[in-house]
Amino acid sequence: MAKHDPKELIADLITGRIDSEALLQLQRKEKDPGRLSTICQIYQEMLGWPEPVVGLVQEHLLLVDAGSGERTVRCTCGYDFGDCRRNWKEGALVYERHPRDGQIYTGPRGADPDWMVLREFYCPGCSVQLDVEMVPPGYPFIFHFLPADVETDQETAG
Amino acid sequence: MLEAGASTRSKTPLKDRLLLRQARFAGTGHYEVELALKKEDPINFELLYTKLVQIVFNAHEVARLVSASPMTRELGEVIFGLYTPEGDAICLSHGLLVHVHTVSRMIKWMLANDYEEKVGFKAGDIFFNNDPYIGGAHALDQMIVIPIFWEGEIIGWAAGLTHVPETGAAQPGGYGAWFRTRFEEGLFMPCVRIGEHDTFNHDIEVMVDRSTRTSVWWHTDNRAKFTGARMIREEVQRLVASIGRERYAQAASEYIEDSLRAARERVRRLLRPGRYREVGWRGTIIPGEEMLLHAPLEMTVRENGSLVLDWEGLSSAGWQPFQGSLPCMEGLVLNGLIQHVLFDARHNEGTLLIVDLRVPPGTCCNPDNILYPTTLWGPAYAAGVATSQALSRAYYAGGYLEEVHASSALSSGYTAGGKDQYGRPLGAHNMEFAAAGMPAQARMDGLDTSGVEFNPEGDMGDAEIWEQTLPPLYLSRGPRIDGGGFGKYRGGNGIQSWYAMPDVPDLEIGSFGSAPIFSAPGLMGGYPASALLMWVGHDTRLKEYAEKGLSLPACEGDDVANPAFKQELGGRWEAVIGSNYPATRLKPYDIFTAVSGDGGGFGDPIERDPEAVAADVRQGHTSKRAAREVYAVALQADGMVDGPQTEALRQRRREQRRKDGIPASEYRARMRERVQRGEFAPPVKRMYLDVLRKSAKFAREFRTFWNLPEDWTMPDETKE
Repeated sequence: MAKHDPKELIADLITGRIDSEALLQLQRKEKDPGRLSTICQIYQEMLGWPEPVVGLVQEHLLLVDAGSGERTVRCTCGYDFGDCRRNWKEGALVYERHPRDGQIYTGPRGADPDWMVLREFYCPGCSVQLDVEMVPPGYPFIFHFLPADVETDQETAG
Repeated sequence: MLEAGASTRSKTPLKDRLLLRQARFAGTGHYEVELALKKEDPINFELLYTKLVQIVFNAHEVARLVSASPMTRELGEVIFGLYTPEGDAICLSHGLLVHVHTVSRMIKWMLANDYEEKVGFKAGDIFFNNDPYIGGAHALDQMIVIPIFWEGEIIGWAAGLTHVPETGAAQPGGYGAWFRTRFEEGLFMPCVRIGEHDTFNHDIEVMVDRSTRTSVWWHTDNRAKFTGARMIREEVQRLVASIGRERYAQAASEYIEDSLRAARERVRRLLRPGRYREVGWRGTIIPGEEMLLHAPLEMTVRENGSLVLDWEGLSSAGWQPFQGSLPCMEGLVLNGLIQHVLFDARHNEGTLLIVDLRVPPGTCCNPDNILYPTTLWGPAYAAGVATSQALSRAYYAGGYLEEVHASSALSSGYTAGGKDQYGRPLGAHNMEFAAAGMPAQARMDGLDTSGVEFNPEGDMGDAEIWEQTLPPLYLSRGPRIDGGGFGKYRGGNGIQSWYAMPDVPDLEIGSFGSAPIFSAPGLMGGYPASALLMWVGHDTRLKEYAEKGLSLPACEGDDVANPAFKQELGGRWEAVIGSNYPATRLKPYDIFTAVSGDGGGFGDPIERDPEAVAADVRQGHTSKRAAREVYAVALQADGMVDGPQTEALRQRRREQRRKDGIPASEYRARMRERVQRGEFAPPVKRMYLDVLRKSAKFAREFRTFWNLPEDWTMPDETKE
């Protein structure tokens, strides 16, 4: 059943409790311009952090105003990855997986390991898997998102 | 309505008008500064556009019924459009959306190359192009453009494009992973006048008959495209008779400007400003020159609603078919934008004008030599994937999670050539891969066997129609178990078909796909889709089973490394990772497979609802192995979820991650020496050597990441 309270609906969207009909309706209708601030507000209430939640980086990762203008990337479990101008992956646990290790892909369903490996990034706080890169061995970590409203430092942004 | 005797030259040459238009946009940032008609009468402004949409959609639907090609009839690999005299798209039909821009490129190329002066445009002319460096992605993409005259002057162009299954290439069916030059890709006709007075030239048709294996699809597709284009021409002429030429031209301009403004506004409102990075991958498998191909994207979403898509770091162009022409690259990138951001807006030239697309010349998505082949699009497809991934991240950052999705499938299919089951010359490919698995969304699984990025309405076609067209017989056709990327929301599974070779002499089967890599990445913790894979079974017991009427497996089965057909029928089997198979004369009753490709997964798989996993196992979408090993879900003997065991499995998986995972600094320390020495397998080493030399930006970031000295270069054994 679609919910009438927009904030409740967005809370369901965040948690994944949203049903497919409500999700389709959300896709079809005009977008609410205040969505991001609604989501930040919901997270703020849900997590009870003293620092303001000011944005989203990706699934599980939020942008938090750490004071003095610094925006940090923080997992929903509370683990801090540090300044958002630095790739959060630098603060993650990394596991390079053989693409045919039999756990995820079996036999010929996996890539040739000479060509490509899987690089998994876990949160040190809660062990959630935050990203899986499919890259050749030796490829630098991909820095997916740098918000425009923070001062870019070329040294750390790369 | 054909205007007898009408011909150009225009009062102002169209080439000059195109240059003026481009200069005006460069100067003002607008296609049309004032939207006078819209302001004066917004209702009729919209009604008129609806009329234009109706015209191109009618052309699309009728054309499908004219063609004999299953690509066009069954799959809808067709698009129609209406263009300004300068070649800017005003209005496009649904269908093969990846070609939203390619016909525009063809018209502009003719203008820029003095066709108006040197070839001349007359009412009733039919122009054809299948040169991908002019417009299109490969020789299979064929377009027809006809001028629309009014009172002796060109007031626009009508066009149609289809994907034709045979071009007379070195490998039947037009696809081949080992082509070295354009000359192996078949017959090219770059912007050729193939008809006059609304009639196809017989001599040109004879050329096609004698240059391809099966010309019926080429010819009937041309008739389909011409029929649709002529319908557009006549409807537009009727419209101009009714509203006047000036008003029509003004409206056309305003629709483009209106789309430009709408696209900017949409991006400004929905996508979070910032810098986004993704990387797409493909590879070439020419023996001795195998190389991973690199397609890195840096997308900048600006506060004003414009987008910069910068592809610095692309691999170099070369003598291999996994590369895309610039029109192909533009088409794929813009297709991603239209489908994921501007899906309910008018898409035309204005849509494209918000994008600053930077594709370095000399790279495999903007080759500097038109002799390089482009059959398999190459990293241009991966670039489209990267664009969609970046857009999804920008949606997520804006809070619009309902629009977020992982990447689309990379498709593969089989080719057939020689003689068909009726004894006629044959060259074709099966294109049921237009119904691949769709990507997982941020809050919903990807749809199984449903579409492809380049044609969102793609269909698989009826198996019976394919069996009438191509000799191989279907043994089984269904979703590929575990195909889609694993994740909290899983990618859609593509189609896996199992075919038997009939007793048809002189028949070769081949296949096209990717390098032995993952091609469709997952997003935010989800895994990529499985690698493309083709099975080929020789000397099996299929004939015996057929003669005795014994039951065959209905699908691949639960053990993807040892599929049911292999277990049941024995014989000698090849597993072709990447699904590239040279045209080979298989024996009757040999078995082969094709897979359409699967979508990427979203989010951490051990956060997936265990009940959803159990349902997938029951329905044959997920194997029992994957349920336990990937999703950490314990199922009881009756297939129901064992809650406490599942929680224990997931807890153990989290502990395992803490043991396996190492801090980034330690990872870097472990890998650094290997990187410094450049110890990589040849396909990866060649990629690094090429890109490090080609891109100063990539080289700088690579050295910074691995903490290498500024004067470091990767050792190159080939120089020693």
